[in-house]
Amino acid sequence: MIKLNPAASITEEFAEKVRNENRNDRLMKLAPIFVLIALVMVFTATCGVSFISGGNLLNILNQMALPLVVALGLTFVIMLGSIDLSIDGTVGMAGSLFACLVLNSEFGTNLGLMGAVIAVGASMLCGLAVGLCHVYLKIPSFMASFAFMYICKGIGMVSYQGHPPTIQDPFIKALPTASFLGIPFITWVAIAMFALCYFIQERTAFGRHIYAVGTNESIPRSVGVSVERVKVGVFTLAGFLFGVAGVIGAIRLGQGQIAIGAGKMFPAQAAVVVGGTSLAGGKGGVTNTIVGVLIMTVLDNGLLVLGVNPNIRTGIQGVIILVSVILTVARGAKVISK
Amino acid sequence: MTTQERNTRPLLFSASGITKSFAGTQALKGVGLDVAPGEIVGLVGENGAGKSTLLKIIIGAQPQTSGSMTLHGQPYEPRTPMDANRAGIGMVFQEQSLIVNLNVAQNIFFGHENLFKSHGIISWSKMNRAAQEVLAAVDITDISPSTKVSNLNFATRQMVEIAKVMDVTKRSGAEHCLILLDEPTSVLNEAEVENLYRQMRKIADQGHAVIFVSHHLDEILHITDRIYVYKDGSSVGDLDTRDATEARLYEMMVGKGTTTEYYHLDRQTVPSEEVLLEVRDLGIHGIFKHVNFQLHRGEVLGLCGVVGSGIEEVCEVICGDERPSFGEVVIRGESMRFSSPQQALAKGVLMIPKERLFEGIVSNLSVEENIALSNAHALSRGPVVSAKAVRRQAEEWIKKLRIKTSGPQELLLQLSGGNQQKVVFSRALASGAEILILNHPTRGVDVGAKEEIYAFIRNMTEEGKAVILLGDTVDEYLGLCSRLLMMKDGLVTGEFDAPADGKPSQVDVVSLMM
Repeated sequence: MIKLNPAASITEEFAEKVRNENRNDRLMKLAPIFVLIALVMVFTATCGVSFISGGNLLNILNQMALPLVVALGLTFVIMLGSIDLSIDGTVGMAGSLFACLVLNSEFGTNLGLMGAVIAVGASMLCGLAVGLCHVYLKIPSFMASFAFMYICKGIGMVSYQGHPPTIQDPFIKALPTASFLGIPFITWVAIAMFALCYFIQERTAFGRHIYAVGTNESIPRSVGVSVERVKVGVFTLAGFLFGVAGVIGAIRLGQGQIAIGAGKMFPAQAAVVVGGTSLAGGKGGVTNTIVGVLIMTVLDNGLLVLGVNPNIRTGIQGVIILVSVILTVARGAKVISK
Repeated sequence: MTTQERNTRPLLFSASGITKSFAGTQALKGVGLDVAPGEIVGLVGENGAGKSTLLKIIIGAQPQTSGSMTLHGQPYEPRTPMDANRAGIGMVFQEQSLIVNLNVAQNIFFGHENLFKSHGIISWSKMNRAAQEVLAAVDITDISPSTKVSNLNFATRQMVEIAKVMDVTKRSGAEHCLILLDEPTSVLNEAEVENLYRQMRKIADQGHAVIFVSHHLDEILHITDRIYVYKDGSSVGDLDTRDATEARLYEMMVGKGTTTEYYHLDRQTVPSEEVLLEVRDLGIHGIFKHVNFQLHRGEVLGLCGVVGSGIEEVCEVICGDERPSFGEVVIRGESMRFSSPQQALAKGVLMIPKERLFEGIVSNLSVEENIALSNAHALSRGPVVSAKAVRRQAEEWIKKLRIKTSGPQELLLQLSGGNQQKVVFSRALASGAEILILNHPTRGVDVGAKEEIYAFIRNMTEEGKAVILLGDTVDEYLGLCSRLLMMKDGLVTGEFDAPADGKPSQVDVVSLMM
C-alpha cells in the first residue's frame, strides 16, 4: 500500500474560489452604471454638449416616464423568475377604458378621476387572473400572460367599439403640459410609482419574500410563507402598474385606443434585463430597473439625435438585450434552460 | 452521560421501527433512535446508510413509510419542517438555505417579519437589534445584521444558518429543543469548528439536545456523548462515546462481507500490462487535486470516497463533462482535452450516469430507441437511420442481457429499475467504448438484477474493456474491483491492490475514506 502525502487543504482553495466569485459578482453589479456613464459620454462627444443640455435632459425624463412604470411592474415578475407578456394588452386596455369613462367624444360618461381608478382596477384584475392561472392551473407564466395579452386587447377594442374616444375633460387635457418644479406631471407620476415600488421592495415582508421565492421556492415554503400568494401578489402588482402606464399613455395621447400598449413590452423587458435583474430570478430590483430604463432611453434618444434610421435603432436594442442576457446568465450551467 | 443515567430520565425524542422506501428500494429498514435532554448524539455510517434520510423524516421534509416517533413522550407526526420547528426541532441542512440577496437579519427572521411590524411597516432597526442578540447568543459578534449574505464567506454563512435554526427552534417555546446538524463542518476552518463545538455543548448544557451527522469520525468522537452506527438502512448499534474508538466504529460500519459467488469473484480477470487510460496530476481548483492513476485493459478500478471527496468530479473530467484546472488525461498514450462527452466517446470513453432517471434514459422513448441513442450514426445510411438495424440491434441486446420487456417497442418507463439499467448497459456496450465509467450502477435495482449487472461487468473485463467503478458500498468495491484508490477531501489517501485471492480488509478501506 502506498500512502500519499496530502498537501495543502482543498477547503482553503474552495474558500478562495468563492471569494473570487463574490468579487466578480460585485463588479458585475456596477456594470450597468458604468454602461450608462459611458453612453452619456459617447453621445456628448458625438452630439456635442447639447446632449446634456437642460432641454434634452427634460426630454429624456419625459420619454422615460411610461417605460419606467411598465418596467417597474415587470421587474417584480422577473425577480420571481417568471415573465409577463400581457403588457401590450393590459396597457392598451387600461388606456382605452380610462378614455371611455371620462368626459369624451364618443360616450356620455363622465366619471372624472374615478375613471382612472376603474381602469387601473380592471388591469389589476387581469394581473390577478394571470397570477391565478399561472399558480393554480400550473400554466407557465409566459403562456398565461400571453393569452391575457389577447384577452385584454379584445376587451379594450370592444370598450370603444371601433371609435377611439378623444378625452374632452379639460382638467385631464391640461395634464400633459402641466409641470411642477420644471418636471412634467407625467414624470412625477412615474417617480411616485418608483417610490412606491422601492418601498414595497425594501420595507415590506412581501418585498423580501419576492427575493426568496425567486431564489429558491423551497426555502420560503419551509418556513410557512405562501409561495402561491407571493406569486399572485406580484402579478397583481404588475397589473396595477401596467394599468397606471395605460392611463398615463391615454392622458399623453389625449385619446383612448388599444395602440397605447403597442410595442411597450419589448423595451420594458430590455430595460429590466439591461439593469441587471437576472431572468433566473432572485437578483436585482427596482433600482436596477431605473438604471436600465435610463440606459435604454439615453440610447434611443442619442441615436435619434444622431439621426440614425429608426429601423436600425430597433435592431440595436435587440443586440443590447441579447448581450445583457449573455452577461447575466449563470455561467457553467450544464442544462440549457427552456 | 452514561447509558444508565440516561435511562433514569425521560427521553426528549424517540424514533422506532422507521422504514422508508423509494420506488422499490428500502433506504431505511426499521431503525430506532433515542435522544435524552442534554445529550449530543452522533450518527455515522457510509454513504447511503440512511443517515440523511432519517434526519429528513425527523424534520418533516419527508414522511416515513412506517414506524413512529415521539417527542416528550407524545406522538410526533410532522408534516412539514414548519411543524417540526413549532415543536422545537430545527435542522441545519447540508445545502445552505439562506437567501443570498437578503441581509443577515432578514434571513434570520424570514417568514416572521411581522414580529417587527409597527403601523404596517417593518422596522428594520428593531429587526437588526434582535438579530444582533441572536448572533451574540452563538458568540458571533463580528458581523453586522445588515450585511447582505452574498457578501459573507461560506463559513460565516454556515454560522448564521446555525444561529437562525437555533433561534427558530427556541422561539417554539419548547423547554427542550432538538437541533439536527447534517455535515455542518465541511466548509468550516478549525477555529470555526471549535466555535461550533462550543455552541453545541452550550445548547446541550441548557437541556436541549443535538443530533450530529458527520463523515469525520474524529469530530464525532470529540464532541458527542453517544454514537449510533448505521449500515445499509439499519442501525448496527449504539455505544457511549467514551467506549468508542475509530477502529471500533469502522468495524461496526462495514459489517460482514458477502459471499464471493455474488460478485462472480472466480471471473475476476488479471489486468494486462497495457495502459488504456492514465491520469496525471489531475485537479479542479477547489474540488480535488494531485490525482494520479493508470487504468489497464481488463481492470476494474474502484474510486472510493464519501460525498464531497471528489471521486464524482474525477470521473466527470475523464468522461469530458467537466474541464480540469490542472493535469492531463492520457488515453492510449495520447494526451486529451475533452470539451464534451461526445469527444470522449469518440475516443472510447463513456460514463453510465448515477441519476438513471434524469441522465441515463429517455423514459418516453422505446427500448430500441434508447439503445440506439449513442450509436445511431453507425446504424444509418446517410442521414436516414435504418429502422431495421435499430430493431435488430435491440433484439440482440434484449436476448444477450435478458432484458425483461414485451418487445423493442415498449416504452422505457414501463420497465422495472433493473431492466432500465440493463438498457443503459446495452447502450454503453453497443457504443463500442472500451473505457467505461460506471457511476453507482446498482443503485435502486433489486438484488437479482444486481447480480446480473455484476456478471455484465465481468463480461466487460473478459472482453478486454477497462472499468472505473463508483460503487454503492465498500462490500461492492471489494467484490468487484481489482484495484482500489481511496480519496478524502479532494486528495488521494491511498491505494490497494485487490486480486481475487487477496482482498484488503473493509476496515482498512473505510479508514482511508473517512
